[in-house]
Amino acid sequence: MLLPAVLGLTALLAVVAPLLGHRLGRDAGWLIAAGLLALGLWLGLAAPREGLTYELPWIPALDVGLRLRLDGLSLVFALLVTIIGAAVMAYSARYLSKKAHSGFYGLMTLFAAAMLLLVTADDVVVLFVAWEATTFCSFFLITRSGAPAHKPAVRVLLVTATGGLALLAAVVTMSVRTGTTQLSAIVADDAWRTDPGFATVVAVLLAVAAFTKSAQFPFHSWLPDAMAASTPVSAYLHAAAMVKAGIYLLLRFSPAMSGVPAWHLLLIGLGITTALIGSLFALQRTDLKALLAYSTVSQLGFLVATIGVGTEHALTAAVVHTVAHALFKSALFMVVGVIDHQAGSRDIRDLSGLRHYLPVTTTVVVLGAASMAGVPPLLGFVSKESMFAAFLEAPGPAWTGPVLGALGVLAAVLTFAYCGRMVVGAFFGPPMRTTWHHDVHTDDEDASGHGEEGEAHTHPGGPAPASPAFLAPPLLPAVAGLGLGLAPFLLDDLVGRGASGAHGAEVDVHLELWHGVNPELFMSAAVIVLGAVLVAARDRVDRLLDRPLLPYTGVGAVEGFREGAISLGARVGGLTGSSAPARHLAAPLVLLLVLTAVALPGLGGLPPVVGDLDAGTDWVLFGIVALGVLAAVVVRSRIGALSVVGTTGFGVALWFVALGAADVALTQLLVEILTVVAGVLVLRRLPAAFGKVRRARAAGSAVLAIASGAAATVGVLALTGRRELSAAGEWYLREGETETGGTNVVNTILVDFRALDTLGELTVLGLAGVAILVALQARRALPEGEPGLAVGERSPLLGADDNAAPLRVLARAVGPVMVVTSLWFLLRGHNAPGGGFISALVGGAGFALVYLASSTDRGARVKWPYLALIGGGVLVGTATGLAGLADGSFLRPLHAYVLGYHFTTALVFDLGVYLAVVGVVLVALNRLGGVVPEDAVPGAGSPTPGTPDRAGDPPDPAEPAAGTGHRAPAHAARAPEEVP
Amino acid sequence: MILALTVGVVVAGAVYLLLQREMVRVVLGFVLLGHAANLVIMAAGGASRRGEPLGAEPDPALTADPLPQAFVLTAIVIAFSITMYMLALAVLGRRDDELARGDAADDDGPDGSGGPAGDESSAHDAPDVPARREEVAP
Repeated sequence: MLLPAVLGLTALLAVVAPLLGHRLGRDAGWLIAAGLLALGLWLGLAAPREGLTYELPWIPALDVGLRLRLDGLSLVFALLVTIIGAAVMAYSARYLSKKAHSGFYGLMTLFAAAMLLLVTADDVVVLFVAWEATTFCSFFLITRSGAPAHKPAVRVLLVTATGGLALLAAVVTMSVRTGTTQLSAIVADDAWRTDPGFATVVAVLLAVAAFTKSAQFPFHSWLPDAMAASTPVSAYLHAAAMVKAGIYLLLRFSPAMSGVPAWHLLLIGLGITTALIGSLFALQRTDLKALLAYSTVSQLGFLVATIGVGTEHALTAAVVHTVAHALFKSALFMVVGVIDHQAGSRDIRDLSGLRHYLPVTTTVVVLGAASMAGVPPLLGFVSKESMFAAFLEAPGPAWTGPVLGALGVLAAVLTFAYCGRMVVGAFFGPPMRTTWHHDVHTDDEDASGHGEEGEAHTHPGGPAPASPAFLAPPLLPAVAGLGLGLAPFLLDDLVGRGASGAHGAEVDVHLELWHGVNPELFMSAAVIVLGAVLVAARDRVDRLLDRPLLPYTGVGAVEGFREGAISLGARVGGLTGSSAPARHLAAPLVLLLVLTAVALPGLGGLPPVVGDLDAGTDWVLFGIVALGVLAAVVVRSRIGALSVVGTTGFGVALWFVALGAADVALTQLLVEILTVVAGVLVLRRLPAAFGKVRRARAAGSAVLAIASGAAATVGVLALTGRRELSAAGEWYLREGETETGGTNVVNTILVDFRALDTLGELTVLGLAGVAILVALQARRALPEGEPGLAVGERSPLLGADDNAAPLRVLARAVGPVMVVTSLWFLLRGHNAPGGGFISALVGGAGFALVYLASSTDRGARVKWPYLALIGGGVLVGTATGLAGLADGSFLRPLHAYVLGYHFTTALVFDLGVYLAVVGVVLVALNRLGGVVPEDAVPGAGSPTPGTPDRAGDPPDPAEPAAGTGHRAPAHAARAPEEVP
Repeated sequence: MILALTVGVVVAGAVYLLLQREMVRVVLGFVLLGHAANLVIMAAGGASRRGEPLGAEPDPALTADPLPQAFVLTAIVIAFSITMYMLALAVLGRRDDELARGDAADDDGPDGSGGPAGDESSAHDAPDVPARREEVAP
């Protein structure tokens, strides 16, 4: 339980960290540091030699589990993540400004948790998830540094996410080939030996993943780019997190990859290349942070090449150097932040003689740089010697060892040179005599503001020393590098366990500062001598290197890719970017025609038609529909088109009657009526006639129309009517009444058998109503047009109130009948034509009649809370469904007999349907018909938040307080006609 | 065959209207297309058995398939609500319901390729107050 406990507590810390950062400000860093340190020490002291495993099922169907495993290798990295993390957090507590830092601490702790999961995952899927989590954490941490960091952050994300895709491909390939997602089982699989093709593919994919993460050539550019992040983030990114994830991946798969040629070739070749160019670029830089960034690239190159050698000694050397690098790089990055704070600059050209002012800082830099340069007696010397020894063991032809060794020495000489240049340039030489203002730099701060308040920075005569609390975090790892260099045997146990994990077999490690007289010693000596020469001649070297070394830069390449991708997207989007709907609507039609043409030749051998499909009277129906369609196509007047389409709808309703679908026909009929009513309301706002159709458009549309029609006819002829009654249909007919007690089979399907469908449809329906409301609320509808009647000013035709009298009388008489009819349809729906949909439409038609009977829109508005009706309908339907759970299944109707009458919850469900449909009809009538709603007029009252259903209603006469003062006199006068 | 012909005629009319410039015509085309689709579903149940699926123990040999009827019934109501929504869109915003931008001359041209984003921000987004004022003006 140790392992899940540590991980869980780290995750918990990540949850608490933002709160701490909010309450305590920057000081929260100390608490978080203490937490991480405690967790790291607990893990380090309590972890047994044989390791730990833990498993929690996650996706059992795919055999993916939350498998965790802590072996020596994982332990080494877990300790780096927690202990270096603790140092960086403690450092942040003095680096950041004195305000709340919830986001920073939250993300940093999450970063640590993700890294911890990554290095302990024993399932490749979990490994991938953690890998991507670190990618995102670093992205967000970099973007926090303000606008100048946004582009670099996106480039970092592009490069590292590309590597994530490579890892995903590797994960899929490996789990498919080996049949498991368990990491340790995959590494131990036989397939690596027996299937060279598979091994090569995965080797390349893993290498690409690790190279992007660990900033190896040609993906190295993101790491210097990520300098845009604040210093604590950089320190963590470079020393223990992010880039070390790639190293961990390579080490983890080393046992499997040993002997795969592509692996050794890629790792050694690109690793040593990266080491060389990284150190060369570092030598070019004058900004200390940029110099350190390239030094990380270079050092990681050393590590990758060493892992590529893959022997027992090489892997041991890689583990030692990982530890050494984490120590000196975290110290150096943090101390650069200190220099930046205290001296106001981090450019070697501005800095000089800092040792006179900042003795502790100087000590840290000297220790860190000496370790990085491989100077005895620091840990960096021990690790570099063992890496040299490993280079000489490189696999392949006999010359590879010496060549690799020579290249390694060359890279190390350059490393020594830039380390020396940093120390000598900034800390020695004449003391600085300038007044420093802290505000001269802005790019190194946490996004939320400046670092240390200015108390120490406007110090005449030179920079002031930083406080001990600020200096301790960088000092500790630097001193540790010295101590472990002097007594490297302290690391024997840990490194041995780590190397065993990477080698796949037990490795016994004895680290020593003095190895005796051997080739490595001469290599080290050569490095120090040649490096010292370069440092001495640094002015000449600077002049030589003060030019672009390559015609292009990595950042430029990534940026070019990014911009290219965006402009390609714009170009592709431009192909279809048209606001003419015909362009979009024609495409699927043409595609359908093509599909028809492709399918036509295969239409032979269809089963025979069953029964007689045609009745003689069908021709009448065809005639009605065809006339309606023809008129709809040619008619120029908008209202005319609406009417003839309505005619077509009636024809279709008659078709339904003919086909034995009474319920459907009723529904169609009612919908047609309501469509025409709502359509008329809309058309008042539009010109009377359509524009003239250009001949080309008419011809093109006609061709497409006729072809589509022909295809539809052929499709119906060929694909329908050629079988007996469907099995489902037959079952409903035979069993419907027994199962539900209802004799209207269609209705029982709607509310009993397929009620879930109906509930879904109800929701869609309701949402359409809400969408109408929202659309008309957000954008004002066009104003109503003038009636344009050619009559005199005093003509009775203009008296709306008088003209509406007949309809008003009719509505008064018919209205109650319609209400009763509507309820009657609802109640009997289970057994005879009717049901929720039909009854609601009847009710809606009643409302439409009331609407038409009033002389003004305002007077007609029915004051029912339509949103509440819609929501209530969906709620009633859902509640009925939940009641069905009492009988074991959602939406199963419950039955009861009261006084001999059969009651079923299906009726209640139908009531839900009723409410929702009525709500939608009311929305349509009121919102499409109503004049511009008062609440949409700026300054004339606004919708009350929380009661949106009333937002569209005019002020209720009964509630004078809610009024807006715009009430028309006619409104009150006509109140009696309104539906209560 | 008559049902198939009816479907063909309705589809043809629907497609023609869908390809026109005015939103109201497009909406009417959509309505017709809905009719056609419903008739196809009914045809799939078979047009030879036309008895109503009502009453106690309907005879499966003569009665129409109830399942397509249930599908079509809800489809009609949903199509109705979508029609209402599209009609609402037809009266939003601009001068009238013409959907192609610019003049009649270039409505077949690549009018949107210059940048749909620019188009939309001026035409469809809510907070363009000057445009509103213009619309309310008589």
